[in-house]
Amino acid sequence: MFAFLVRRLLSLIPVLALVLVIVFSLVRLIPGDPAVTLLGPGATDTQIAALRAQLNLDEPALLQLWHYVAGLAQGDMGVSLKSGQPVLDEVLLRLPATLEISIAAVLVAILVGTPIGVLSATRANSGFDHGVRILSLTGVSMPAFLLALLLQLVFATWLGWLPVSGRMSSYLFVDNVTGFALIDAWLSGEPGAVSSVLLHMILPVTVLAAFLAATLGRFVRATMLETLGEDYVRTARAKGLSRREVIYGHALRTSLLPAITVVGLKFAEMLGGAILTETIFSWPGIGRFMFEAIRNRDYPVIQGATLVFALLFMLTSLLVDVLYAVLDPRVRRKMK
Amino acid sequence: MKLTRRLFGVVSGAALAMGTVPFAAQVAQAQESSTLVIAVPSDPAGLEPGINKAEPIGSEIILNVFDTLVAWQAPDFAELEGRLATEWSVSEDGMTFDFTLRDGVVFHDGTPFNAEAVKFSIERTVEMNPYVEASLGLIESIETPSETEVVFTLSRPYPAFLSILAQPQSAIVSPTAVGELGDDFATNPVGTGPFKFRAYQADTRVVLDANADYYRGAPKLERLIYTIIPEASTRRLELENGGVDIIQQAGQLSAVPSEEMAAFAENDDIQILESPSQIIRQLEFNNSLTDGPFTDVRVRRAIAMAIDYDGLLSGVFDGTAERVYGPLTSNSWAFDPEVMDLAPSYDPEAAKALLAEAGVDPSDLTVKLYSFQGSLWGAVATFVQANLADIGVNVEIAQTEFPSYRALHVAGEWEMALDGRQPWYNDPDAHVTIGYLSALKNSAMTFRMPENAELDAKILEAQGEADMEKRKTLYGEIQKEIVEQVPGAYLFSPKLIVFARSNVEGLVVNSAPPLNEYWSVSKN
Repeated sequence: MFAFLVRRLLSLIPVLALVLVIVFSLVRLIPGDPAVTLLGPGATDTQIAALRAQLNLDEPALLQLWHYVAGLAQGDMGVSLKSGQPVLDEVLLRLPATLEISIAAVLVAILVGTPIGVLSATRANSGFDHGVRILSLTGVSMPAFLLALLLQLVFATWLGWLPVSGRMSSYLFVDNVTGFALIDAWLSGEPGAVSSVLLHMILPVTVLAAFLAATLGRFVRATMLETLGEDYVRTARAKGLSRREVIYGHALRTSLLPAITVVGLKFAEMLGGAILTETIFSWPGIGRFMFEAIRNRDYPVIQGATLVFALLFMLTSLLVDVLYAVLDPRVRRKMK
Repeated sequence: MKLTRRLFGVVSGAALAMGTVPFAAQVAQAQESSTLVIAVPSDPAGLEPGINKAEPIGSEIILNVFDTLVAWQAPDFAELEGRLATEWSVSEDGMTFDFTLRDGVVFHDGTPFNAEAVKFSIERTVEMNPYVEASLGLIESIETPSETEVVFTLSRPYPAFLSILAQPQSAIVSPTAVGELGDDFATNPVGTGPFKFRAYQADTRVVLDANADYYRGAPKLERLIYTIIPEASTRRLELENGGVDIIQQAGQLSAVPSEEMAAFAENDDIQILESPSQIIRQLEFNNSLTDGPFTDVRVRRAIAMAIDYDGLLSGVFDGTAERVYGPLTSNSWAFDPEVMDLAPSYDPEAAKALLAEAGVDPSDLTVKLYSFQGSLWGAVATFVQANLADIGVNVEIAQTEFPSYRALHVAGEWEMALDGRQPWYNDPDAHVTIGYLSALKNSAMTFRMPENAELDAKILEAQGEADMEKRKTLYGEIQKEIVEQVPGAYLFSPKLIVFARSNVEGLVVNSAPPLNEYWSVSKN
């Protein structure tokens, strides 16, 4: 296991280097340089040239790459061209917001998707199953922005139960301590802060969870059906175990194993931020930040954020593999 | 089975329990009536006057946290009033500006405002900000004869200097705070303005608190919040729900707000505030071309006469834009009304006759019309295309992404292009010099005017003329000369539109540039 982990962690380095070179070249292939974009249509060439010099964009690309890698080696990811703040600080500032809804969405998806999948499988082809299949197909195929808009209209505008957007009421003032609104609200002790944050989380979490819950439900249904047809399940039944014991004691555990991979990879994907969901709900996460950076041609931010995403993605998938090994003795044996 | 049923119960029960708590109750205790929430589409590019590059959101916040020496007077914005300066005089040669400063003003950090602070702030901006090289860069020396007097000497006459001193780049910063905070000053700005900086949460909001000791009197609001909402539909829902008090359209000039206008016009909870702007949108000819049909002024005039200006305003803009007749908008102090008669007006028959007179067969004329991207520009380009088709001219539209479009435009690889200018300071110089001085034709997106010794000399003379009456006369002559050359077709000037909840009072929409002050605003 230890050797496996070391091998996997070492293999991250060449992958990250490759990601860096690709992103570094790609951002410079997008037409238009940051100085032009930042200054807008009214700027003169003199103003643009002065800004380019200030941002060191007048250096040859290879030299810029060399400086960037030299900086990285010292843990310096450069500064944002737009804000002038260190890229790592900017990324870490927004990561908690994305983590907050991603974790909540994964939990909701597991709590909703798994039981639905199990019920669907155990009642395959019943009315319930058909209904769930239609709903989950809708969940998988409905674009996030459409669902988001619908939810805003119904729950915020028509019913007035939930806020339209943001992380908490504008009238509340909570200091940013951890970056997690829920924790900060609780720490602040301001009356109504925690419930305000919870209310603001419901819609974006629902949108993020809808897709995952639907995917998970369909996946669990399929694996469960497969497992229920296995010989050992028939044996268990033949031994006279109750239907409940067979389903929850034997079949469910086996069917849930592959679901871990699905949930883990989807979670890793979510850490890269959901641009549309974050934009529509004015959620200050990492996806929106990256989108703005690309629009502004903020090279250091695009490079730095991509490296962080790549690292997070690879670490999460490594974690999934480890978890798999912990839960499945067959896999554990193979790793040795 | 029971387990899952229980799970369902818990989940749906929790959702219901939370859903039934009225959202409004959550915020009942907050000081809603003394807090104003303004929705803006993106983060300020910075709150630091020293590096401000005229980005609208950061600029407006700076003008509410800091003060300038002078400011344009509402509601016409045609005359300057004193702020941190009480009076000033300009030497006859237009090169020395002598200011008497207000006594007893203190910065938010408690340190006193004085002549040294003015000298420190302006010199700091000149050093930090290449954007003001051509304006504040003309300063040769700043003298501080006393605590309340400061004298600027320029290297050449530059009457727009006063207007530049009203801009966020010239805001007066606390030298003590800059010294103590260093680089952190950019995220903790300290000025003398009506609001004190409280907090900036990236991608979320900027919070300002009232400065009770403000020298013009404490603001009526206790707190001002700029909340960042990137999506237009979300901003609209928030305003309708009362989650925000104001939506600003400034900096959002790529879409026509007419759909929102129509929805809000019928909503009693929302008021629409409008103000004319100094922004101009035009169809430009590449005036530096040496061959082709557009070198003939008759062809250019024919094109300009083929465009149905009023139809564009009502059909595409639904009343959210105004007519422009020449290089300056009609709300500029230097606007000469005579250009209204000189400007080509819509007359397709006369346009056809002019083309015939110039010996141009419109069916031979196929021309590419370059444009910015976005639905607003697309609608304008299509409208122009249909107008020109009416006189037989075939137009192909090429909408191009901004950085590439700028490169192509500055290189002069085009015949006809849609363009525009939003002046970042209130002076005719901001439109005329950069747009029409032939020496600058390759330096930015301009009309690419050919060399014309007389007009060029006049533009430079007007830029440096210290006598305001003479200056106005000069700009009048320049406007008429330019309009007669038909360097383009002046299409429209978008109005500045602010949507506000109906209980917001006292907001004056500032036009030049569109940066609003909230000192006088209150909520009922």
